[in-house]
Amino acid sequence: MKFLKKPEARALIALAFVLIIGFTFNADGAFFKWTTHRDMLRYISVFAILGCGMTLVIITAGIDLSVGSLVGLTAVLFSLFSIQYGWSPWLVIPIVLLAGTACGLISGTLISKWEMQPFIATLAMMVFARGAAKWISGGQKVSTAVLQNDGSYKYVNVPEIYNFISAKVLHNNIAIVTIIFIICAGVAYILLSKLRWGRYMFAIGGNEEAARLSGVPVVMTKLIAYGLCGLFAAVAGICQAAQEQQGDPEAGMSYELTAIAIVVIGGTSLAGGRGGIGLTIIGALTIGYLEKILSINAVGEAYRLMLTGVIIAAAVLFQKTRKK
Amino acid sequence: MTENILLKMMNIGKSFASVNVLSNVNFELKSGEVHILAGENGAGKSTLIKILCGVYNEYKGEIFVQNKLCKFNSVHDAARTGITVIHQELSLINELSVVDNLFLGREISGKTGWLKRSVQESEAKKLLARLGLEIDVNKYVEEFPMSVKQMIEIAKALAIDAKIIIFDEPTSALNEPDVVKLFEIIQNLKKQGCGIVYITHKMKEIYNIGDRITVLRDGNYIGTDSKDNLLRNKLVNWMVGREMTQQFPERIPKLGKTKFQVDNCSIDDPAGGPFKVVKDISFKVREGEILGIAGLQGSGNSELFNGLFGTYGKNISAKMIIDDIEYKIGTPAQSINRGLTLLTNDRKLTGLVLNMSIADNVTLPSLKSFSKNGFIKRNEELNAAKICSERLRIKSHSVLQETQTLSGGNQQKVALGKWWETNPKILLLDEPTKGVDVGAKHEIYELMNEWTNEGMAILLITSEMPELLAMSDRIIVMHLGQVTAEFTREEATQEKILNAAMGG
Amino acid sequence: MKTKLFLLIAASLIILACGKKESKITTAQKVKPTVKQKIIGMSQCNLGEPWRVQMNEDIKLAAAKHPELKVIYKDAQNDSLKQVAQIEEFISAGVDAIIVSPKEAAPLTPVIKTAFEKGIPVVVLDRRVNGDKYTCFIGADNKKIGKAAGEWIVKKLGGNGNIVELKGLMTSTPGQDRHSGFRAGIKGSNLKIIFEADMKWLEPQARKEMESALARFKNIDLVYAHNDPGAHGAYLAAKAAGREKEMIFVGIDGLPQEGRMYVKQGILAASFEYPTGGKEAVDTVVDIFGGKKPEKEITLKSHVFTKDNVDKGGKWL
Ligand SMILES: Nc1ncnc2c1ncn2[C@@H]1O[C@H](COP(=O)(O)OP(=O)(O)OP(=O)(O)O)[C@@H](O)[C@H]1O
Ligand SMILES: [Mg+2]
Repeated sequence: MKFLKKPEARALIALAFVLIIGFTFNADGAFFKWTTHRDMLRYISVFAILGCGMTLVIITAGIDLSVGSLVGLTAVLFSLFSIQYGWSPWLVIPIVLLAGTACGLISGTLISKWEMQPFIATLAMMVFARGAAKWISGGQKVSTAVLQNDGSYKYVNVPEIYNFISAKVLHNNIAIVTIIFIICAGVAYILLSKLRWGRYMFAIGGNEEAARLSGVPVVMTKLIAYGLCGLFAAVAGICQAAQEQQGDPEAGMSYELTAIAIVVIGGTSLAGGRGGIGLTIIGALTIGYLEKILSINAVGEAYRLMLTGVIIAAAVLFQKTRKK
Repeated sequence: MTENILLKMMNIGKSFASVNVLSNVNFELKSGEVHILAGENGAGKSTLIKILCGVYNEYKGEIFVQNKLCKFNSVHDAARTGITVIHQELSLINELSVVDNLFLGREISGKTGWLKRSVQESEAKKLLARLGLEIDVNKYVEEFPMSVKQMIEIAKALAIDAKIIIFDEPTSALNEPDVVKLFEIIQNLKKQGCGIVYITHKMKEIYNIGDRITVLRDGNYIGTDSKDNLLRNKLVNWMVGREMTQQFPERIPKLGKTKFQVDNCSIDDPAGGPFKVVKDISFKVREGEILGIAGLQGSGNSELFNGLFGTYGKNISAKMIIDDIEYKIGTPAQSINRGLTLLTNDRKLTGLVLNMSIADNVTLPSLKSFSKNGFIKRNEELNAAKICSERLRIKSHSVLQETQTLSGGNQQKVALGKWWETNPKILLLDEPTKGVDVGAKHEIYELMNEWTNEGMAILLITSEMPELLAMSDRIIVMHLGQVTAEFTREEATQEKILNAAMGG
Repeated sequence: MKTKLFLLIAASLIILACGKKESKITTAQKVKPTVKQKIIGMSQCNLGEPWRVQMNEDIKLAAAKHPELKVIYKDAQNDSLKQVAQIEEFISAGVDAIIVSPKEAAPLTPVIKTAFEKGIPVVVLDRRVNGDKYTCFIGADNKKIGKAAGEWIVKKLGGNGNIVELKGLMTSTPGQDRHSGFRAGIKGSNLKIIFEADMKWLEPQARKEMESALARFKNIDLVYAHNDPGAHGAYLAAKAAGREKEMIFVGIDGLPQEGRMYVKQGILAASFEYPTGGKEAVDTVVDIFGGKKPEKEITLKSHVFTKDNVDKGGKWL
């Protein structure tokens, strides 16, 4: 079984297993419609975008718990600037992306320069960013209802950019957010497999001290990993806001866990040094299909949670068996 | 035969991913003997041992322990039958204390599972005392130097009263006095009727401690004979498959102007202790020169290398000059850019990224020169890695093989190869031939000669006295962080150096 | 090291600055201090939900009309024990009245009893506590609202049609009540529930579930969601599938910047108000200060908002 030696192959088997479930329980043929797959891809894209950044960080043997909160923070900022202040998207998007990157860089600095544990540093950022999102939005969703000074609301239209991002293209066959995810995955793929910095990430994850003594710029590499993770979180935040047509300070709550699950189910090792974006894409599809299949069959919440837990454990166990 | 045969391994075969690494190997061990297992890097010695002690349980052939057919499913299994190994790559847990390591998995506890710490402590002290080691057993293992870790590992093996004890290159990190101690221990074990399998690449040890010798080459069984019948030339012939008359190549140094100068170097204890590990040391190395830095454990020679390279950051005060340009100590990356590189003495912890391929490791420090605008030129990189791998004769299926699946000696060559790729001006070598076989050692010596001929300056630390004497043009001896003597190549002898190294 | 610290602080200041501007927008009417000030302690169990933020907002607006009132707000962040501690603080600070919107009944009953027995008027909002050791309970009835929604839907569809029900968390009381009330309301009609799923009160979840419903069913006449964001999420899913005109959407809560706005924009056909009771709580406290004895239990009436009446403030149910 030489085929099984490749992590991609093992990840694909988990995906195939989920797909077989889908074929079997196809909800009166709903599973065979392309729109079902299109909608699954749309739904999972935000998580998968987070997964791309998470992959980079996990490969350096780190973790980023703050991405979910950053989705909330950047969604709020995006809506605030574009809906309520009415700024042009050409201005708003760069600002929001910068804000996400800055948050990632702050975590990265705490981790690389001040040698904080990634878990603790990003936990702090997770709490802080959620707080910032609530504070900036005043705890309310930032929507097209703009509060006036006299306490009444004025209703405005969402800016065009919202409709653009939440649209579907190619004869309505694929969502823009899915395309955004593909672009993010492409960027992360090039970084990891073609660029020097990607190699450094693997080296740091494999053996940080050996990497440092080989002249690898450890601090800079980690800053890039966490900075990009923040950037991707901001991209996800913008997609989330556009799809919801509002900036919800609660948006992205516990998304970090799904993002981590996506990465790990793909087969990227939490211990660092091993993995890749291809695996993360497969992981995203696995989780996405699983949720979709449970959803079209209208499986009850309790069963869903139990089934998801079992499948995650099974998929990861399957990844492990290669050691033998 | 009246002798008691402890172990018989018959027709052992093993392959990884359809690559054969062992085929039809036979091995026999009697009680009260030291049986040397010899062969080149990658010959399959460690693999054979791992089969014996239950690490690998898929193999061909049969194993008989005291005439009983055995099949071990785990290390635990083998240990219960009285087989224990001191592995080539140490298996201590750095984050645990010495006691906890010694009793890991077989803690002494009461019925409720409550640890009897004081009993463990006194037992641990007794065990270590057998090896002549007096240390604080409650300290973390990571605080101790390599040689002490090695002793702890040995103590751990002794603790289970094994009948068959296997040493996989135990002395590669030990100094002469420690080696002497180890040999005394082995003699004692022999008298108690234990059978000992001993793997080493050091000729001197083979004839000093061994009784019989079995040779493997490329996974094949070559033969077994007593050490009196198997003289050095024949043994080397068995191992490498060709004649090799000289252990060391002839060295004719071509010395140029001063390449690297260090004045008044002092280094604070990197572990945070109050004393300096290096005190006020000054030296110069010339172009084309190999300067040996001798010293026993605790002499500070390894720390000197690490300090100069920047491993400890700014914990060092020194005036450093490369090619007449004075500079301030920086990070390892800055040192590499200046042409100063360090081969560390622990390839597993600080030398290699074991889960990356040979190619990725070899080009790691010089990756900038293999990339354009940040993009890695993969073809060029692979070519360079191939050339390096051929040059250093790294035995592997391809340069894409993961380094952790290489034999110990071949890993060492990868570590050396990555510095070769950076084209350094000054190479600090800390145990460069650790775990490297005779043939490959010879090649490394030749490489050192070649590089120095091209103008490189080399600083050399080695625990192998013959290597130090044969390769160094000049030797300085350190004791407790200070220089106690300096010899030219002609003056130096083993006695003088040892004397100075002990502070005399 | 120092420069890095500086950068860090600078970065956080930028974030702070962004927020500063925003705070001007949210209403913050100042309470003018007067001589005979009365202090009300308000303990909110969780400010994470917009509806509860709205409750505080309503209290603020109502209290602003009485210059002698000063309200101290506390947020228990969804932690019962924290809320207990906050009420204890109110007691020892000697506030004149307490408004509390408890997280859970059991843990908060004793402390509310203590306050009540010390003579501090306690107004309990939204969720009940056990026993009767409090001054007044003000709350709306989810079952009634669910039932009203059901009846409204029966009328709207003429008693026939396929319905998708997007439920809130079915482990929570509001979820259960809005579900059972609704089922009671449509009883006897020919309405069919063809698809139901938990969307955990979350808009993205609702959207995902609605997509599944759309994939499975050709004919959907109405989506009933247990909250307005859920209904909005369902609308977005239908719109993305180009089917938003085939069906109508009904939600619950009727917050000004959520449900009412969606109704106004024609996204929802109706939103049923789940009143916060903030204003009523302040009125009750003022009555108590004025010497009147309030009723033990006040059930809030709610509005239904539809396109025709939303600008006029809705219609009483
Ligand atoms: N897990 C593995 N996967 C693939 N190849 C392996 C693996 N483990 C060992 N090998 C290969 O098996 C061969 C024998 O390795 P082994 O470690 O037994 O050599 P050795 O004789 O101990 O050498 P050394 O003296 O250098 O320690 C090597 O070529 C090595 O690359
Ligand atoms: Mg070996």
